[in-house]
Amino acid sequence: MEVELIRIRNLKTWFFQGKGLLSKWFGQGLKIVHAVDGVSLTIRKGHTFGLVGESGCGKSTLGNTIFRLVEPLEGEILFQGRDVVKMNQKELRRFRQQAQIIFQDQFGCMNPRMTVGQIIAEPLMMRQREPESQKSIEQEVAELLNSVNLDPDAAIKFPNEFSGGQARRIGVARAIALNPMFIMADEPTSGLDISTAATILNLMQDLQDKLDITYLWVSHNLNQVKYMSDDMGVMYLGKMVEMGRTSEVFNHKAHPYTQALISAVPRVSSEQQEQTIFLEGEIPSPINPPSGCYFRTRCPQVFKRCEEEEPPLLDLGGEHFCACHLHDA
Amino acid sequence: MISEPLLEVSNLTLDYNLGNRKMRALDRISFSLDKGQVLGVAGESGCGKSTLGLAILRLLPRVAEIRRGAVFFNGTDLLKLSEKQMEQEIRGQKITMIFQVPQNALNPVFKIETQMTDILRVQDKYQNPGTRKPRGDFRQQAIERLESTGIADPEARISNYPFEFSGGMKQRVMIGMALSSGTSLLLADEATTALDVTIEAQINRLITKLAAEYGTSILYVTHNLGVLAEMADRIMIMYAGRIFEMGQTRFVLGDPRHPYSAALLESLPSRQTRGKRLLAIPGFVPPLDRLPSGCSFHPRCAFAEDICRQEVPPLTEVASGHWSACLLDQKRGRQKWKWS
Repeated sequence: MEVELIRIRNLKTWFFQGKGLLSKWFGQGLKIVHAVDGVSLTIRKGHTFGLVGESGCGKSTLGNTIFRLVEPLEGEILFQGRDVVKMNQKELRRFRQQAQIIFQDQFGCMNPRMTVGQIIAEPLMMRQREPESQKSIEQEVAELLNSVNLDPDAAIKFPNEFSGGQARRIGVARAIALNPMFIMADEPTSGLDISTAATILNLMQDLQDKLDITYLWVSHNLNQVKYMSDDMGVMYLGKMVEMGRTSEVFNHKAHPYTQALISAVPRVSSEQQEQTIFLEGEIPSPINPPSGCYFRTRCPQVFKRCEEEEPPLLDLGGEHFCACHLHDA
Repeated sequence: MISEPLLEVSNLTLDYNLGNRKMRALDRISFSLDKGQVLGVAGESGCGKSTLGLAILRLLPRVAEIRRGAVFFNGTDLLKLSEKQMEQEIRGQKITMIFQVPQNALNPVFKIETQMTDILRVQDKYQNPGTRKPRGDFRQQAIERLESTGIADPEARISNYPFEFSGGMKQRVMIGMALSSGTSLLLADEATTALDVTIEAQINRLITKLAAEYGTSILYVTHNLGVLAEMADRIMIMYAGRIFEMGQTRFVLGDPRHPYSAALLESLPSRQTRGKRLLAIPGFVPPLDRLPSGCSFHPRCAFAEDICRQEVPPLTEVASGHWSACLLDQKRGRQKWKWS
């Protein structure tokens, strides 16, 4: 039986602008950024959930909310049945040992004055240790470096001595240091060369096979999401517009946005030529989203109902969901 | 119809001299680019693709030294022009460049209007020496350029500052500054790498459209082979300062004759299905001051033989208009390079 690791229900993360004194005195209105606006999703244990969408669609905010790096306004985040939103500091600390993040900016998340050994050892020293574990931290660091195919000598070097791909591996080593069950990878290969990106993807795939880690794969690279993920969700302006098994979503793209997104991916092979659907304009501001369907301002298939009514996330069968009036016959 | 080459680079060799280290960033680069054509340049970081663009415009840092070669542009060798001629006739006039990060190329403290009219004023100054028109005379022209790049409400938006524009719009502004009827060559260095796929498609369509309108040739540097498959007429694959393969897009991508090109294509996730391993070329691009002997790719190449360690492979024409620099090509015949 398949077990779900994370279930998110109706999650909302809003940011409030203009709550300060100045706006109070000068009567500026309160602006609300609907960064994540009522998202529900399920991540299966040992599988990868790919989250795609353009910049500013809220995919990183959603990821950060799962770790409570930002506080949600409402909704539930069930991690193995326990609600992360309601956890107190102590529980949260334990949760964050089981769930880790690989950040997009691989150098920015490492202290340049610490050696790589110290960086990887830091989470190891923070954990509540079982008394019987006799392995020294140095040994563990060496094993971790080995498992991400880095030389153990790397432990005495500083982050600036590494290339982008190696720095990314260090980030992976730190993330797996505490044997987490869940890792969120935020654009894990951005800025890397083709063949370096391939080594990172292979590495993360191997780790998943070996350690049964569940990934939330946040990326705007659709080819990569197709290759890496079992399930996927497409976000637009804080809402989930399509969700389902990756193969199902790619083979039966239901939402016009997903269709445009997939058609815009430049392809190398000529046999699967597909007409690119060009979207006009850019993603609207999440402060003032359009009425009805948020996508209607750029949608090539817009009709009257889209302006008036917000489309609900419909079940198309086979765990494939889509929020579009076109499918609501 | 035989079109004449607009740009002809021959035997270009360039070193970076860093103290006692000498790094050969470009090694005997020869290629030509016809009018109205798009030539894509691909390769891993550190293979010299950006240096090539900078060398054409002669915007190199002081440590760079051009050893040999020529860059013929419309028949004139750019390397022989004086710095003044480069500035007055070539840079920003005939040859323009757009960069990867548009926010770094725009000055944050000046309005878009100021920055666009600046360019037009300078261009006008060199085209009609002696006259100096006020900035206001160019406003309308700047608005038209902005409009041609597809920015809505250009008359209002031209008074904005760069921070009020999104990344895609800033890249549009850059294109508006770079492309005009006088431009005959556009150098695009990773111009859409920082953008979302939907915006990337918009920008690439815009570049192609305007270039076709003005008959501009493009040298498009990127590491995204998918973008090149859609945009480029011809592709050049570079590695450690050398050209490894060059030819028409469909031949280079469809039937790569160099093991390195084949490896790049095999490492793309788009070609592989879930669960299968991607090809990762072992090792790294070598530092340019410690290049291996013989073929610089041999330590990473799965097919390397003794001869690869000894001889530098010349770039040879393996099929009509299709060039490859591999010693084993002859011997191998028409067998494909399959890495995995």
